[in-house]
Amino acid sequence: MNVPLTKGAVEALCKGLDVDKPVLQLLNIRQISNASSPPRFRLMMSDGQHSLTSCLLATQLNYLSEENLLVPNCVCLLKKTINNTLADGRRVVVVMDMDILKSAKETGGKIGNPTPYNTDGKTSSPQKVSSSTYVPESPPSAAVPGPSYRNYSSPRGRGGSFTGKTPMKASPMKASAIKASPSKGLTMKVSPMKASPMKANSASPGSSAKVNPIASLNPYQSKWTIRARVTNKSSIRTWSNSKGEGKLFSFEIVDESGEIKITAFNKEVDKFFSLVEQGKVYYISKATLKPANKQYTTLKNDYEMTLHAHSSIVPCDDNQSIPTVHCDFVPIAELENRDKDAIIDVIGICKSAEDVSRITTKNSREVSKRALSIIDETGKVVTVTLWGEEAEHFDGSTQPVVAIKGARLSDFGGRSLSALFSSTVMVNPDIPQAFRLRAWYDREGFAVNSQSLTETRSAGTGLNMNWKTLSDIKNEDMGHGEKAQYFSCVATVLYIRKENCLYQACPSADCNKKVIDQQNGLYRCEKCNKEFPNFKYRLLLSANLADFGDNQWVTCFQETAEALLGHSAETLGHLRDTDEAAFDEVFQKANFTTHIFKNRVKLETYNDESRVKVTVMEVQPVDHREYSRRLLQNIYKLAR
Amino acid sequence: MASLLDASKPRINCSMLSQHIGRGVCFVGRVEKVHPTGKTFSVSDGEGKSATVELNEPLEEELSGIVEVIGMVSSKGVITTTTYNILREDKGIPFDLELYNEALKVIHDFPQHYPFEVAASG
Repeated sequence: MNVPLTKGAVEALCKGLDVDKPVLQLLNIRQISNASSPPRFRLMMSDGQHSLTSCLLATQLNYLSEENLLVPNCVCLLKKTINNTLADGRRVVVVMDMDILKSAKETGGKIGNPTPYNTDGKTSSPQKVSSSTYVPESPPSAAVPGPSYRNYSSPRGRGGSFTGKTPMKASPMKASAIKASPSKGLTMKVSPMKASPMKANSASPGSSAKVNPIASLNPYQSKWTIRARVTNKSSIRTWSNSKGEGKLFSFEIVDESGEIKITAFNKEVDKFFSLVEQGKVYYISKATLKPANKQYTTLKNDYEMTLHAHSSIVPCDDNQSIPTVHCDFVPIAELENRDKDAIIDVIGICKSAEDVSRITTKNSREVSKRALSIIDETGKVVTVTLWGEEAEHFDGSTQPVVAIKGARLSDFGGRSLSALFSSTVMVNPDIPQAFRLRAWYDREGFAVNSQSLTETRSAGTGLNMNWKTLSDIKNEDMGHGEKAQYFSCVATVLYIRKENCLYQACPSADCNKKVIDQQNGLYRCEKCNKEFPNFKYRLLLSANLADFGDNQWVTCFQETAEALLGHSAETLGHLRDTDEAAFDEVFQKANFTTHIFKNRVKLETYNDESRVKVTVMEVQPVDHREYSRRLLQNIYKLAR
Repeated sequence: MASLLDASKPRINCSMLSQHIGRGVCFVGRVEKVHPTGKTFSVSDGEGKSATVELNEPLEEELSGIVEVIGMVSSKGVITTTTYNILREDKGIPFDLELYNEALKVIHDFPQHYPFEVAASG
C-alpha cells in the first residue's frame, strides 16, 4: 500500500544537492498569481520526514494540475528537477518532469509526519548558517547536476550578503575538484564570473529560471535563460534613413535544440559588441522575442531576438554540451539537384583560389571578391564566391578545409555558391567532417580528376544554359509563372515581317521612345519632353522561328534585329526610302538562316487577353561542334 | 560505276569496312601517305585506324587534310574510289574528325532512327 518515499530527499534538495528520482508525496498545491506568463503552481512536497514548500512546477507540467492529476496526498516520482537559488538566497526546486505513482485516493493520507525543512530563508542568517554547515558536507559527486545553476549564486554573492560564501564555496570545491571533473568546471567558472561588473545585477534569473532550450523560446514567455554558443557575429552596421540614424550588430547562437538570431541596436551595441565573441558560450536572458524577418536571416527559427537595456549576457565555461555549429552539409554532387537560390551548407577542400578582385556594384560601391574552387568526397568541384573582408583575408595556398554555412546556391555557370552577408565561412573548422575531408584529400582527393559544376566553357556557351526546343514552350507552359523564363534554342528564321519593322525613335542617347511626327519638321519625345528636328531609326522585328518540332513568333529589338538582318537600322531606314528591291533582299537573305537564340518568355495580359510573348535577348551563330557534342550527350542519355 | 552513286552509301569508318565488302560506302578520313605513283593513298579515321584508298587515275593535285571518299570496298578492304572531295581546312569551320566518328557510331547503333537506305532508294 505504501510506496516508500525517498527519505532525506527533501533535506538534500534544500541543500541544493541533486537527488536521483526521489519519490515524494504532494501535500499541497497552490496557484501563484501571475500577471503575464502562464499560471505557475507551487507544490509542497514531503518525503515523510520533511516537507518542502518552495517547489515549483515547470509550466510544461501545468496540465497535471489542470487535469486534476496532481491532488494533495498523491505520491509522485520526480524524474527531473532543477535547483535554483533566488536573488535573496532562497532555494527553489523546479520540477521539470514527474510521474504520478499513486493517486491521492490510493495513498489515503499524509505519509509520515513531515516537518517543514527550514529552507524558506526568512532571514539571511539561517541561510548563512546552513551554508557554512553544508559546504564542508557536500560531497563532490553532488556537484554534478545543474552545475550552471550553482554558479548563479556565486556572482550574486558579490552583490548581496554572501560575499563570504564565494571563497568558502571555492575551497571545498577545489578540494573535491580532483574527484569529479564537473566540479573543476565550477571552480573555473568562479573567476570569470568575478571579472565582469555586469553580472552582479544581471545574472540573477527570476524564480522560474532554468536553462531553456532555444527551440522553446517564444514571445509569450518572458522569463527564460538560454545557454548557447555564438556561431556567427556580424560587424557593426550603421544606417541612416528618414527616421534617423542608428547602428546595429547581430549574431547567431546555437545550442542542442536549435539556433536563433540576436540583434542589438544603438546603446546595446556599445554594451555587448565587445563582450560577444564568436565561438564562445554565453548565458543570455531577458531579450525581446519577435517573429523572424526571414529576409535577413537564413536560420531555421520562427523567432528572432532583440537585446534591450535589461538584457543580460554572461559568459559560460561549461560548453561541453553545446555543439559548435549546426551544419547540414550537402555533398557537392547533390547541389545539381537543389533549387537555385536555396541556402546551403557546404564543406570541401579549397583546391584553388583566384586572386581577390575589386568589383564596382550597381550602387557604385566597391567590393572585393574572390572565387574559390572546392572539392569534396563526391569528386565534384564547385566555385564559391567570397565577398568583402572574408575575400581579402582568405588564404587558399594551403588547400584548407573550407566550410560555409548559409551560402546561396545560384545557377550561374551551372551551379555555383555565393557567400551572403549572413553566411559563416570557416577555414579548417574543428569538426569531424573536416578531418574526414582532410584525410580523404591527402590520400586520394588531390589526384581526382574532378568535374566542376561551375562550367567555365568557351565564351558565349558558358551562359547558354537551359537548352529547349520550340515545342517545349507550349508543352511546358513556359512563361506562365510569376517570373519570366529564359531559355536558349537552335532555330531557323522562316519569315520576318517587313511592315512596321522600323520606327522613329528619340535621338537622345539613352532614350528609345517612339517620337511623334509633329508634321512641322519637328519630332516630339514624350519621355524627354522635348522636340527634335531629327530622329534615329530603330528596329523592332516580328519574326517567325522554327525547328523540327514547332514554330514561334518572336520579337527582336534593335541589337538582335541588326544581328539577324546584318544591317544597321539606319541603313535599312535609308534603304527603305530609296531602294525597295534591296530592302526586300535583306529580308530574303535572312530567311532560312539558323542561329542560336537566347530568349525570354513570359505570359502577358493585355486588355483581358493573355498571350505568351517571346523576346529574343541574344543571337549567336551556331557553333556546330558544340551543338553536335550536346546532341551526342543527349543521345547517350536517352540511350541509357 | 555511276550506278554506285545512285545506291545508298553509308558512312563508315575503318572498323566497319569488313561489314561493307562489295558495297558502296562513303569514307571520311585524314590523308596520311600518298603513294609515289599517285594511284593510292592511306587515310586514317577518327579512331586513328588506317585504310587504303585506290584511284582509277593518278592524282593530279596535292592531297592533304581531310577527304571524303565515295567508292566500293574490295574484298581486301581497300576502297576503290568513284569520286572524292577535299574538305578544305582554310574554308569554313575546321572539321572535327573525332566528333564525326562519334556521330558515325550513333548512326550505326541506332539504324532505326537513321533510315538512310529508305531515303536513298526513294
